[in-house]
Amino acid sequence: MGLAMWWQERRGGGGTQALGALRFTVLDTELTGLDERRDDIVSLGALHMQGGRIELGGAFQELVKPSATLDGRTVVIHGITPEQLEASPPIATVLTAFKAYSANTVLLGHCLAIDLGFLNRDARRLKVGAFRQPAVDTLALYGWLRHRGSEHPTFALETAHLSLFDLAAAFDIPVETAHTALGDAFVTAQLFQRLLPLLKEAGVDTLASLRRVGDPDQATASLSAKPGHAHF
Amino acid sequence: MLIDEAVRFLAQIPPFQFLEAPLLRELAQSLTLEFHPRGTAILQQDGPLPEHLHIIQKGVVKITQRAKAAGAEDVVIDYREKGEIFGLVSLMGGAQRTTIVAVQDTICYLLPKARLTELTTSHPAISEYLLQFHLTKYLDMTSREIQGKSLFLGGSDHLLFTTSVGEICRHASTVVTPGTSIRQAAKRMAEERQSAALVIGGGGGPIGILTDSDLRTKVVAQGLSGDLPVSQVMSQPVVMVDEKDPCFEVVLKMLQDDIHHVAVLREGLLHGVVTNHDFMVLQGRSPLAFSEDIERQTSLEGLAPVSQKALTIIGALLREGTKATNIIRIISELNDRVVRKVLELAEQEFGPPPTPYCWLCLGSEGRKEQTFRTDQDNALVYADVEEYRQAKVTDYFRRFSVYMRNGLVRCGFEACPANYMASNPDWCQPLSAWKRYFSRWISEPSPEAVLNSLIFFDLRPLYGEESLAWELREHYIRLIPEYPSYLGFLANMLARNRPPIGFFGGVAVERSGEHKDGLNLKIKGVAPLVDIARFFSLEKGIRHASTMERLEALRSTTSLVAEQVDELVHAFEFVTLLRVHHQFKQLEAGQPIDNFIRLDSLSNLERQSLKNAFRLIIKIQDQVMDRYKSFIL
Repeated sequence: MGLAMWWQERRGGGGTQALGALRFTVLDTELTGLDERRDDIVSLGALHMQGGRIELGGAFQELVKPSATLDGRTVVIHGITPEQLEASPPIATVLTAFKAYSANTVLLGHCLAIDLGFLNRDARRLKVGAFRQPAVDTLALYGWLRHRGSEHPTFALETAHLSLFDLAAAFDIPVETAHTALGDAFVTAQLFQRLLPLLKEAGVDTLASLRRVGDPDQATASLSAKPGHAHF
Repeated sequence: MLIDEAVRFLAQIPPFQFLEAPLLRELAQSLTLEFHPRGTAILQQDGPLPEHLHIIQKGVVKITQRAKAAGAEDVVIDYREKGEIFGLVSLMGGAQRTTIVAVQDTICYLLPKARLTELTTSHPAISEYLLQFHLTKYLDMTSREIQGKSLFLGGSDHLLFTTSVGEICRHASTVVTPGTSIRQAAKRMAEERQSAALVIGGGGGPIGILTDSDLRTKVVAQGLSGDLPVSQVMSQPVVMVDEKDPCFEVVLKMLQDDIHHVAVLREGLLHGVVTNHDFMVLQGRSPLAFSEDIERQTSLEGLAPVSQKALTIIGALLREGTKATNIIRIISELNDRVVRKVLELAEQEFGPPPTPYCWLCLGSEGRKEQTFRTDQDNALVYADVEEYRQAKVTDYFRRFSVYMRNGLVRCGFEACPANYMASNPDWCQPLSAWKRYFSRWISEPSPEAVLNSLIFFDLRPLYGEESLAWELREHYIRLIPEYPSYLGFLANMLARNRPPIGFFGGVAVERSGEHKDGLNLKIKGVAPLVDIARFFSLEKGIRHASTMERLEALRSTTSLVAEQVDELVHAFEFVTLLRVHHQFKQLEAGQPIDNFIRLDSLSNLERQSLKNAFRLIIKIQDQVMDRYKSFIL
């Protein structure tokens, strides 16, 4: 990568690669809660996409040994037993492995800001370096397309129902009942596959334009521009 | 988890279901998943080649090919859905010959080409399955498309069987000079993975071909030295075809000359070689493979079951959209091989014939116009012998021809109810007796004699001393112009079999019985056209036996029908196709085969075409009546 391009990448500007040439790491985390001050990552699942193709092999899937004892409520929600977690590697190991796994790829997730918040918190704490590569949010992409006024029937959804699973149902993506981080990452990847042709149609065909319309920090912006209140 | 899902999926679909679980799991690791919204062109005809085998996980795709004619609609070749694959043929090499469009939102697993290649090498059963499935599927759907439109339009436009030979021939063929040693040539063939080497003479043109079979039969089996020049063992001459020739023509040539390799020329220069294997790959089921099967048999016990398989080939040919007149030629060619084989067996059984003879096939067999195995129509002519040998010779051929009749019955050719068979002593005669028959039929025509003679005018020598048949033919060709009343009788017979044009007005044709709503296509459609071609050929001294050849030959004569040859050819092509399709459908449904077409089973276009054919026949019949009116009773 040339210096100018590197600089552009840092600034989150350029990136003229066509979408098909991009390599993505699609990820999802399972958390004990949404409070970055006291909650933790309990599992991390991810897989690679080359352009619009989901690679079935080489998926990333790790449970994380908790730093403190979990309260029973969260454990039930995630269907992971304390014994399983106790036998898992600590977050430092998982994070280091995931840094390598996701190197030189674009991160992709649904409500990615939440996952990235926890990942970067732990990365800072463990001094392994934050995740600074381009990141794209499928909810933001969906919101942008919806705001733009697409004819696609799935955009008629109530904004109250925009969880990953609501969207999966709308796009006819099969969802397994037992949610795991990898399973949800797989659903996210398939959601991205459905959005890609719509994005291309809307002229979004480079990394730069994808980042512009899929900014994780703006995920709810275009949605809240419409009446109604979204909760995720 | 993702892998489990893919493994579960693959484990349910052929050919992956034949693989062991660990291998499936390993295979799934290399899969990617792709989504194509409805309307996406996944692969484009003449576009980039795919790098993966597509396995449909969900959705439906449509496979089309551009029509050859400008402005015509694309031809739909196939629809594929969940659990089916596409892109195989283009992966195997060549070009992307079809366009594949998602007609529903479609999800595909993609298997990389390299993994597929590994798989087909390590599991030959897989490659066999894939090829077979893919080709048969392709062919099945094509025929459905044809039937969906009309038999007439189906034609041979877009199909494998009418692919030009240039499209499938191998370019990188081994080329050697006549002086190259056999060993050197064999080494090069092995290195270049060719089953033949072309031998190029001083002029740069091919003068011979050295094939695997030459190496086996002429070198190894004879114990020849590998140091000899290839010119001593090569096959000559090289059969050459133009790259533009349709594959059908080339297959026919290979069958007739009993060869497996043909040199393909482009603008007169050597371009490549095409082998029977290329056709087998192209076709899935091959007439060539079938004929080889016949050749390999050394007993009636072995031959009988092989011979019965001919029917499956007709199905394949129909599915490929081969022209009906080509189908009947191929079928005749295959039937001929069975008959020749039985003749060889008969000669083994009774020892060499005491005098030269010629086996004649008659009627539709003589004209090469058989559809499904009809009954036997054959005769035997042998060279005249001295009086004192006659009894012995008669006895030999009597036993010989009875063996033939029974042998052919076992091979699926039913005995002729009218007893037009060599096993009937009347039709197993020396040449002089045959000449007397024809002289009598022609000089003293009676309705019965004329009827009797018709089948013999379509005779064709199949085996043995052909000159006997030619001498007989010259005899009657010379005789006919001397007896105008004979042609008058023929004209009378021809003019009387009027096609029932009222069929289309809803008038029942057969007024009673199980066929009361049907039209006998053989008697009312095919026979009048055959009769017309025969009649005008005899009138003009044309020596061909097949209807198409007769019509083509009439084109350049002063015949009454010279101007109408194109129309007659089309009409004959059409009624033949209609008949073959009708019978094949019955065959597939396990019904007895007949010639009765129901009006309500025809499309509008087919009805129109049949009506046109009938009008043409009636018009010509009127012309014949007019010219021969003094003989019309």
